[in-house]
Amino acid sequence: MSKLTVENVSFVYSAGTPFEVKALDGVSVNIESNRITGIIGHTGSGKSTLVQMFNGLIRPTEGKILLDGEDIWADAKKISAVRYRVGLVMQYPEYQLFEETVEADIAYGPKNMGLDDAEIAKRVLESAEFVGLGVENLKKSPFDLSGGQKRRAAIAGIMAMRPEVLVLDEPSAGLDPAGKKSIFEGIQKYAEATGAAVIIVSHSMDDMAKYCEDIIVMSHSKVAMMGKRNEIFSRGDELEAIGLGVPQMTYLVRLLAQKGIDLPQDIFTVDDAEAAIIELFGGAK
Amino acid sequence: MKSIAFGQYYPSNSIMHRLDPRMKIIMGILYIVTCFLCKNVITFGILMISALLLIIISKIPVKIVIRSIRAIIFIMIFTAVLNIFWTKGEDYELLLSWRFINIYSSGLYNAAFIVIRIVSMIIGTGIFLTYTTTPIQLTDGLEQLLSPLKVLKVPVHEFAMMMTIALRFIPTIIEETEKIMAAQKARGADFSNGSLVKRAKALIPVLIPLFISSFRRAGELATAMTCRCYRGGKGRTRLNVLRFSFKDFVALFLVIAFGTGIVLLNIYAPGYTM
Ligand SMILES: Nc1ncnc2c1ncn2[C@@H]1O[C@H](COP(=O)(O)OP(=O)(O)O)[C@@H](O)[C@H]1O
Ligand SMILES: [Mg+2]
Repeated sequence: MSKLTVENVSFVYSAGTPFEVKALDGVSVNIESNRITGIIGHTGSGKSTLVQMFNGLIRPTEGKILLDGEDIWADAKKISAVRYRVGLVMQYPEYQLFEETVEADIAYGPKNMGLDDAEIAKRVLESAEFVGLGVENLKKSPFDLSGGQKRRAAIAGIMAMRPEVLVLDEPSAGLDPAGKKSIFEGIQKYAEATGAAVIIVSHSMDDMAKYCEDIIVMSHSKVAMMGKRNEIFSRGDELEAIGLGVPQMTYLVRLLAQKGIDLPQDIFTVDDAEAAIIELFGGAK
Repeated sequence: MKSIAFGQYYPSNSIMHRLDPRMKIIMGILYIVTCFLCKNVITFGILMISALLLIIISKIPVKIVIRSIRAIIFIMIFTAVLNIFWTKGEDYELLLSWRFINIYSSGLYNAAFIVIRIVSMIIGTGIFLTYTTTPIQLTDGLEQLLSPLKVLKVPVHEFAMMMTIALRFIPTIIEETEKIMAAQKARGADFSNGSLVKRAKALIPVLIPLFISSFRRAGELATAMTCRCYRGGKGRTRLNVLRFSFKDFVALFLVIAFGTGIVLLNIYAPGYTM
């Protein structure tokens, strides 16, 4: 059984007004534990709407969301319990920081859960460590942190609730490469340590290639493709037809193949390409 | 969400939507004045028909108009009841008399007149102004109508700019509030349950980020405007210059003719007069 199942979900914003938008149209996906799933698609394809369904922030107009096989909307009063089990980091989460210290802000979620102080303190430290936020930052005001640090503090705030499903909406948007890397590494650490189902929304093919095993491709409010990373990236023409393209290294391999240099077809990241090219030149480093 | 954000503006391609906002402001005022000029059965009847015609011309769904009338239904009922009981029309037929309550036919007429007047005023302001004109068009129109006051050193442009900016950012701030509320809900915030104190406290995690980002945005906007050499209204030209066209004058003529007709009918038409 999948951890999280989306069954034939549709959603319409501002229904019944002239501003009506169909944001999701008959979407079905399965999300598994113990792995990182990527959701990719261009702006307006419905990614954010879909992930806000996962923790019950918006209720589907049609269809069902199942967590461990149970409909999360079976009892609308218990939806807040679902929000602790499915942690959602919204886009630009640094704008949700409000406490006097980073420590207190990370503790906001666990406090709402009603955990005791010792447990909260432990989780704050652990979460800060996941995202690589040094202890010296915990007593600072969140507004004194750098952009990347703020983002990490906000992500730690969700991780501190120890969700079984961790969803991140464009966690690396607007960060420099170093900031991006540290965010993704933090997410990977959380995934490994907890065995949670982790979902990352992005529109960078290269980030997806590097960090995600399963990939869901969204286009025009629908799921266009869904499958393992290599399956998806081997369908480069279809991806390009949607307007997404393939990772840069995959593209490079294709160009090399046209010049008569054959490399394996399952190259998605710089590391893959490096290994294959070394192999080509005889293996010695 | 957006329907609240853009006030009551209802997009459509009617002729009313395409009239010059300045002219619509003037016509709206004239129409309201006309509502107060009506005095007898015939003129109020015509007023009612004119309100219906306005709705049809501007292609606004009746449903939406009714919604805005419903908002003041209590005031309407209250004034109508007051009129029924308190109109003393010794010359008119006494319909009902019980202890100290006397209801005259004139009371019923007056109550109906008042209701028609209020409903027509709401429809009139709605159709001429809020439903068919975007808030930005309205402030633009207002600025230009009031520009003669600049001679008296009234900072008309500055007021209009402030209003435009405020209106421009209402949707943004609503959107932002929704986003922050969603983000805090994802962390277990509960805005709808618990005591009043508890619910007020739950808003702190929303208000603080909202204030911070509003100040940040104000600063950024000021910088962006300075970078584009904004320095007040002096010598500033516009992208969309408002120009009266033939249809604007036809519309104005119709409204004036309507008002004049009402005044004449007040004098010459028979029947009960308020
Ligand atoms: N709060 C909202 N109100 C109305 N329409 C919305 C809202 N949020 C998103 N939309 C619309 O829904 C569609 C999908 O948006 P979204 O899920 O944010 O896409 P993505 O995250 O893939 O960019 C878009 O057309 C967008 O304009
Ligand atoms: Mg999005």
